[in-house]
Amino acid sequence: MKVLIVDDSKIARMGVIKSLKEIQPEAELFQATNGLEAVELFKKEKPDVVFLDLTMPVMDGYEALKKIIEIDKEAQVIVVSADIQSEAKHRVLVAGAKNMYPKPINKEIMTHIFEQDLLL
Amino acid sequence: MNKKILNLKFTEDQIDALREFMNVSIGAATASLANLLDAFGTMHIPEIEICNSSELAGKIESTIDLKSMYYTTKQLFTGKFGGECMFVISEDSAKNLGRHLYNVTIPSGDEIKDAVMELSNILTSTIVSRLTQELNVQVQFFVPSSQFIDANSIIHDEDVVEYSKIIIISTILDFQDQQIKGNIYILTKDEAIESLKILIDKKIEEIYG
Repeated sequence: MKVLIVDDSKIARMGVIKSLKEIQPEAELFQATNGLEAVELFKKEKPDVVFLDLTMPVMDGYEALKKIIEIDKEAQVIVVSADIQSEAKHRVLVAGAKNMYPKPINKEIMTHIFEQDLLL
Repeated sequence: MNKKILNLKFTEDQIDALREFMNVSIGAATASLANLLDAFGTMHIPEIEICNSSELAGKIESTIDLKSMYYTTKQLFTGKFGGECMFVISEDSAKNLGRHLYNVTIPSGDEIKDAVMELSNILTSTIVSRLTQELNVQVQFFVPSSQFIDANSIIHDEDVVEYSKIIIISTILDFQDQQIKGNIYILTKDEAIESLKILIDKKIEEIYG
């Protein structure tokens, strides 16, 4: 399984990776530090799952999500963000994300994501 | 005098971790404000900088318009992670905030001051509470004070004499296309910075293994 983790913060990416490794130790990981890098990596690697932050430089997560869904409307995108407004969640779900979770995510949330949100 | 020598410099990874803590705190603050203003708030990446307290006046001057007037609020908090939180917002941003909060075209001086105090209180409490929650320490907040002053009067030497380091958090609160820009300064003492570094290292160790 290929997983793309997108966040401008290294510690935030490592946090997602740590939880992910406990659930999917064999996952092949790719990292991007902004939305533009994410879109380029998505085209190149065609990951099965994308963990996407919203507030990032160069291209934010909203724009990246839009472009990823344009590339593949079945893309499995989980948004992980510090933005906990219900409107933000509504926007990303309308844009095609499978679900959105507040930072930081842990093993229990990651388990829930793989059991409930993703179609793999 | 036998004084312990502390290493108060932050590494790149420690700054990254601190920025992420602040990002999560500002996310919580934005949600509270969005609820208060009944408007969606677009989050922006906070800029984090740590400087010596003696540099604070220069840092403030470099980021504000010296011809403008500013609202400032200051709030002391005591405990193991003690210090002072200072929030600086321009008159224009404060008016925007007052318009949003009171849903009026021209807010009164009292309405603006009240709006600034509310914003400052939400930002200060969420940011400091987040840090203290992570540090596993308790702090006591004191009643904040507020001033409407010219740019040159925001900070004086005596305001920073008891502090060693300043954590500067610059962010934009963007509600329905009306940008409300504000800077938050956390004035801390050596012991608080050392506690913060220990916390950050612990978090980094937990995550990186």
